[in-house]
Amino acid sequence: MSGHDSKYFSTTKKGEIPELKEELNSQYKDKRKDAVKKVIAAMTVGKDVSSLFTDVVNCMQTENLELKKLVYLYLINYAKSQPDLAILAVNTFVKDSQDPNPLIRALAVRTMGCIRVDKITEYLCDPLQRCLKDDDPYVRKTAAICVAKLYDINAELVEDRGFLDSLKDLISDNNPMVVANAVAALAEIQENSTRPIFEITSNTLSKLLTALNECTEWGQVFILDALSRYKAEDAREAENIVERVTPRLQHANCAVVLSAVKMILQQMELITSTDVVRNLCKKMAPPLVTLLSAEPEIQYVALRNINLIVQKRPTILAHEIKVFFCKYNDPIYVKMEKLEIMIKLASDRNIDQVLLEFKEYATEVDVDFVRKAVRAIGRCAIKLERAAERCISVLLELIKIKVNYVVQEAIIVIKDIFRRYPNTYESIIATLCESLDTLDEPEAKASMIWIIGEYAERIDNADELLEGFLESFPEEPAQVQLQLLTAAVKLFLKKPTEGPQQMIQAVLNNATVETDNPDLRDRAYIYWRLLSTDPEAAKDVVLAEKPVISDDSNQLDPTLLDELLANIATLSSVYHKPPEAFVTRLKTTSLKTEDDYSEAGYSESPAHAAESSASPPSSSSNVPDAASRQPDQPLATAASPVPDLIGDLIGLDNSNSLVPVDQPAAASPSLPVLLPASTGQGLQISAQLVRRDGQIFYSLLFENGSPLLLDGFMIQFNKNTFGLAAVGPLQVPPLQPGTSAATLLPMILFKNVAPGPPNSLLQVAVKNNQQPVWYFNDKISLHVFFTEDGRMERATFLETWKSLPDSNEVLKDYPGLVINSVESTLDKLAASNMFFIAKRKNANQEVLYLSAKIPQGIPFLTELTAALGIPSVKCAVKTPSPELAPLFFEAMESLLKS
Amino acid sequence: MGLLFSRLFSSLFGNKEARILVLGLDNAGKTTILYRLQMGEVVSTIPTIGFNVETVQYNNIKFQVWDLGGQTSIRPYWRCYFPNTQAIIYVVDSSDTDRLAIAKEEFHAILEEEELKGAVVLIFANKQDLPGALDDAAVTESLELHKIKNRQWAIFKTSATKGEGLFEGLDWLSNTLKSGGG
Repeated sequence: MSGHDSKYFSTTKKGEIPELKEELNSQYKDKRKDAVKKVIAAMTVGKDVSSLFTDVVNCMQTENLELKKLVYLYLINYAKSQPDLAILAVNTFVKDSQDPNPLIRALAVRTMGCIRVDKITEYLCDPLQRCLKDDDPYVRKTAAICVAKLYDINAELVEDRGFLDSLKDLISDNNPMVVANAVAALAEIQENSTRPIFEITSNTLSKLLTALNECTEWGQVFILDALSRYKAEDAREAENIVERVTPRLQHANCAVVLSAVKMILQQMELITSTDVVRNLCKKMAPPLVTLLSAEPEIQYVALRNINLIVQKRPTILAHEIKVFFCKYNDPIYVKMEKLEIMIKLASDRNIDQVLLEFKEYATEVDVDFVRKAVRAIGRCAIKLERAAERCISVLLELIKIKVNYVVQEAIIVIKDIFRRYPNTYESIIATLCESLDTLDEPEAKASMIWIIGEYAERIDNADELLEGFLESFPEEPAQVQLQLLTAAVKLFLKKPTEGPQQMIQAVLNNATVETDNPDLRDRAYIYWRLLSTDPEAAKDVVLAEKPVISDDSNQLDPTLLDELLANIATLSSVYHKPPEAFVTRLKTTSLKTEDDYSEAGYSESPAHAAESSASPPSSSSNVPDAASRQPDQPLATAASPVPDLIGDLIGLDNSNSLVPVDQPAAASPSLPVLLPASTGQGLQISAQLVRRDGQIFYSLLFENGSPLLLDGFMIQFNKNTFGLAAVGPLQVPPLQPGTSAATLLPMILFKNVAPGPPNSLLQVAVKNNQQPVWYFNDKISLHVFFTEDGRMERATFLETWKSLPDSNEVLKDYPGLVINSVESTLDKLAASNMFFIAKRKNANQEVLYLSAKIPQGIPFLTELTAALGIPSVKCAVKTPSPELAPLFFEAMESLLKS
Repeated sequence: MGLLFSRLFSSLFGNKEARILVLGLDNAGKTTILYRLQMGEVVSTIPTIGFNVETVQYNNIKFQVWDLGGQTSIRPYWRCYFPNTQAIIYVVDSSDTDRLAIAKEEFHAILEEEELKGAVVLIFANKQDLPGALDDAAVTESLELHKIKNRQWAIFKTSATKGEGLFEGLDWLSNTLKSGGG
């Protein structure tokens, strides 16, 4: 102890980090362990303890499992911020992956998969390969998942090292848990790949079906999901599969049940025998009903899925409508969903029961629910012709209770009923008119006015009724104004007497001269012109017979429905939206790049657009993409050969003329063309270095004007002054003829530095599988290196300026350049990280002082002198590296010109 | 005063852990030496990307031996391990005459380090079993060991695979450390 007492004499005010550092290097194991715990605690509350990286990593080789886990946790968190030092952990990982304890082996391989550092990834491969063939199933299953993680980091590596085949081998593993995890990993990889990777064969099929009965519930979900994508060869096979899976319907886990239902529904498509189908439908009903006895949240998920199932196969639950009756204590969201399903299941046989329920709901307290119930009655009337009368009498009863919102809702649905069954139930109009004064909602008002206009000839005092509404015409919402206008015209056409004539004058006047609403004005002018030129034609137009409506609200489009059914038991089936609509898949460079794209308002990376011909593009979050989503798809495929044809016919070599018609994403029109199509055998490459969020990217646009499908794009940069090199591989999808793709390639500096005096030359080589290697030159513009932290305090600026010898000052004249406004120039320069320090006036000249900094902390202090509006700008720059001045001047020129 | 006392005590009773770094170019045999010292057997090794650390008990001294990877890419991180180091074992592949010059440069760069001023240096002229291996005198010459000033050092001919010379070196090291050389 005595040796450590001395520390009490020295000052202890060292701060937390140095103290932790000391403890981490203690020679006592317990103290080290405590220190690592303290570090983790600090990490979890958000303190930055990344500076202790090596000290923590040095504690990694320990027999103590707890300590090891903590160090691993630390590594997962901080490896990204210390990518260089992370390499120090590799050897320990490799050792641990050969530890006699399977838990440690699995832990090591799992943690390595979580460390997304490129330099480490390659070292992960050998341990991973070993662990995939480990004796212990737990290690194998962890390794399987790790392959999926690795695929996300570096897909090429996974394919080159044959991990995909290893994964496929694991499907035949004798341990069901390993099989399930291999399936999960393959499914995940498949989702992120455009090529078919995971296809179930008849051989693997039987393996999966066997594993299904033995593995854990979540494993079952993975296997069932995979099976639902399997296309059975014939009805017999489909029947066999379904038979093997049916017992899963009895599982206690809702996810398993739903996945089994999904799988059965998918295979049922192939089954032709009606008996079998009927039987299956019978078997699926009870498990679905059971789902509704779970917690409300699960009920909701079940109901959303059932909603889809009922649209596809109404027979499954046709006899179960009672379980969808709302209980008084159901949460509102469950009630709403139940109503929706009740409407879908309502039939002539059960309508009386259903109406009784609806009527009761319509007297409850929750306004939204009541409204929906009333509307539901109307929708049943529209759906079931024979029950329409009964529905209407219920509606009338409800109107009689004179609850304002019930009446309004009833009137809205009655309008629809009138359209569905014209000239059948007009007798009730009188009852409706009684409630005229209580209407205050635009939709209800508009509906009532529509009814009055439509049946003007049968309502004696139609003109009076309309007159009542017209008094407040200017204040009404547009919806009501439009209906008033139309109703007035109808009334006039049906009863061309004096009263209506005056009314129509007033309305047309109001709707043309007095309004700002272009819709209203246009409609009014059309009516006016019609009426003034040919009243008979007006009659034909305005009073024309309307097509009969049907209740197709809330019915999904069949293709969408099929897609959603294939996604049962996922978020997609709860949202009723295809996955692409709310999940962005990462098939291009990296997460960051993709974000940058959408933020900049580009169309979702053209790489996707190019894919759109093959698969639906992801994410509809941005406009161009949404536009290309539905109708465009066939169009895009059809359009692609066109430019190609033109090229062939006219013999055009220069695909400059081939503006990519089908690309919503000629993303960066300003990219300079570096490899013209004439030299690139039809392939045109435009590229430029850009800086985004403090990172340097090479923005590239590939346009394929050749008649070939080009794929396997790779890029290489020659040694250059700044050592610019690509961080990862080039991510360009296979390019069909006539398509193009843009990509952002993250770059790093100082990787392959060319010796010699600085120059701005950047030599690039691009190759693909079909063409020879293309070489082209680009110019490095220094301003992409200007860092965000280049701003200086005035004092620092002055000091630095003075401290540099005069020999470090370089001058340059730009006789052709002109500065028109100081502000806009400063804004422009600030956007490129050239920061304004100060300005002064010298006679009629403005003198601006600016600072900028490039990596390795090399500052550029700049003095710009110019007279506003008069050509000629003088630029003086002082920097510790005057040899870079010529490059700086080039950058300055292009910035001032832009 | 207290510090001095504790050092005396610990070296007498041998419960002190001495921190030792094993350095050298890649493929010099550092990891093999470490495990030969620790377990007494030859293990098959792969290039160390990072480090190995083991405790070796010898002559009543506990050595905490850090074996650091020798690849060019890892050498810059050696310095992370310099603080509080009592001794350095510098391993040289005596048969790799081509790279002796690099080994010399790295070695002298280490000696320049401020944090290693007090560390004693033990050089292993390893792989003596290989044909064409230089002997200790020749290695001394090529590493220019005579230039070492103000530091205790020794060189031993070793063969990690045969286990020759290692413990002689460790004897020297423990004696030197006990006599306060560290």
